[in-house]
Amino acid sequence: MLIFLLPRAVPGNPLYSLLHKLSQTAQTNPEQLRLVEKRLMEEFGVGKPLLQQFVDFLIRTLNGDLGTSYFFYPTKVGDLISVHIPFTLGLLLPATIVSWVLGNMLGAFAAYKRETLKDNALLSVFLILSTTPYYWLAMLLVYYFAVTLHLFPAGGAYPIYIQPSLSLTFIAAFLRHYALPFLSIVISAIGFWAIGMRVMMIYELGSDHISFAETLGLSDRKLMTYAFRNSMLPQITGLALSIGSMLGGQLITEIVFNYRGTGYLIFRALIAGDYPLIQGIFVILISTLLIATFIVDVIYVYVDPRVRTGYSEK
Amino acid sequence: MVKEILIGVFRIKKFVVSFSILASIILIGVVGPIVYTVVPYKTVGPPEAKPSETYPLGTDAYGRDLFAQVLNGISTSIYIGFLSAIVGTAIGVVIGTIAGFKGGLVDDVLMVVTNIMMTFPAMLLMILVAAYIEERNVLYVALIISFTSWGWIARGVRAQIMSLREQQFVFMSRMAGLSDVKIAFADLLPNMASYVFMCFILLTSAAMLAEAGLSMIGLGITRGYSLGTILFWARMKEAVRRGLTWWFIPPGAILVAITTSLLVTATALDEYFSPRLRGR
Repeated sequence: MLIFLLPRAVPGNPLYSLLHKLSQTAQTNPEQLRLVEKRLMEEFGVGKPLLQQFVDFLIRTLNGDLGTSYFFYPTKVGDLISVHIPFTLGLLLPATIVSWVLGNMLGAFAAYKRETLKDNALLSVFLILSTTPYYWLAMLLVYYFAVTLHLFPAGGAYPIYIQPSLSLTFIAAFLRHYALPFLSIVISAIGFWAIGMRVMMIYELGSDHISFAETLGLSDRKLMTYAFRNSMLPQITGLALSIGSMLGGQLITEIVFNYRGTGYLIFRALIAGDYPLIQGIFVILISTLLIATFIVDVIYVYVDPRVRTGYSEK
Repeated sequence: MVKEILIGVFRIKKFVVSFSILASIILIGVVGPIVYTVVPYKTVGPPEAKPSETYPLGTDAYGRDLFAQVLNGISTSIYIGFLSAIVGTAIGVVIGTIAGFKGGLVDDVLMVVTNIMMTFPAMLLMILVAAYIEERNVLYVALIISFTSWGWIARGVRAQIMSLREQQFVFMSRMAGLSDVKIAFADLLPNMASYVFMCFILLTSAAMLAEAGLSMIGLGITRGYSLGTILFWARMKEAVRRGLTWWFIPPGAILVAITTSLLVTATALDEYFSPRLRGR
């Protein structure tokens, strides 16, 4: 609902800017104008009351029809997004998971070595990494690995001269383009997870049941495993909560790399004032987010024995 | 009292280091543009000149002085950061206090709104709002950021209020016939001062990063310079691919320095104010 209301509530009505764009097109292509105008009248239901528009929008969205893009004219918004979204998800999901796993392990390690030089060094690195914006890190990586060392290409998702296919050359080229955006997301997200994990671990290691296990003479390794398992739970919740902000960072990273994902598409759509496209992207991204959050919630039930027994008892 | 706190706080090494970094950057941002009077909008030299004595940080693609831009950018970014933190914290505290204090239906409604704000990715919301405002000045950008980032503060404040309002001194005030508003401001808020202050610092850092992020997409302030807009232009003019290091490294490095030192300052203060964390 927010997606629908916001563009209409803020000053600078998108319809107005669309019509403004239309009048510009009129000088060059009057035929297309009339066509688009007719479509516009149909699709946006100009003049209809706001509630009617909203109901129409809902019904069409639920039917899977996100409307037609203005900028890439006859292309459907749905088609455009379905071309771009695999790139975004293909980058975001592995990067998030890798950074989460690595961050947790490093955080646990720092907690194990707490109050030592290693811990302090790691902690400072984590702190700096956690505040480093993805996009700036991306710029540094591009400069170092692409411009200075010529190891990886500086942008794009795959070379223009190769058609997307399952051939070996394409996959190799794709992976080469994949490396830098992937690294920039992983590196800048590790710090955040590591700090959270370190705090949780230190808290857990100081708790009563660990002290009890320690008096029983269990090995350090065993103790760490116990503490680690307990500290994972809040981290999983954290994962669910942070998917949104990860996505935000991802969108900007894509723009820096000219990576052909939804972030890049949003950028193009914003510049062109492509209102149905923006709306469509938002609908898709947010439903993806909700699904992701839901999946994490389900995983949580499997991981946390308390929640699991709570469900089975009911 | 204040003196004691100050002495105690300045004994923490972490705090002293991070706070002095922060203070010196702020000082540079405030005093810099007054002392270094080169106009950042004007072409003053050859395009893309390397850093030299005349141009301490070199020039951009239009021959404009980058040092002047960065100086202006620091003050703009910090200004946006603080302004959105003030507004965001205020919204969060007010909503959290009302929700926690009133309870019942008011609480439910406010928390539903808060939860929607929290699950909706802030960056997307910012993009959505910013895209429909054509002339974005510093105030608009700050407001956009603050309106999308108060959720977790409201939640935190609400939880604090809920536990505080069961305390005896609140009952005493209520028996003395004080109004709800007065109790909230006189009894409850002072008890959360350190928490709210922490939120404020963290939000400042988050807001500065958000500003830079918005600018990177081209949705930052439309006139003037912030650290983010310098990065934006560096990206638009392919500074990275052409190896113009002096253009894109300084603004980012300063941004990281500010946000990191803010974060460390906040952690150090937190450790000082909540003794449980001390000595760990």
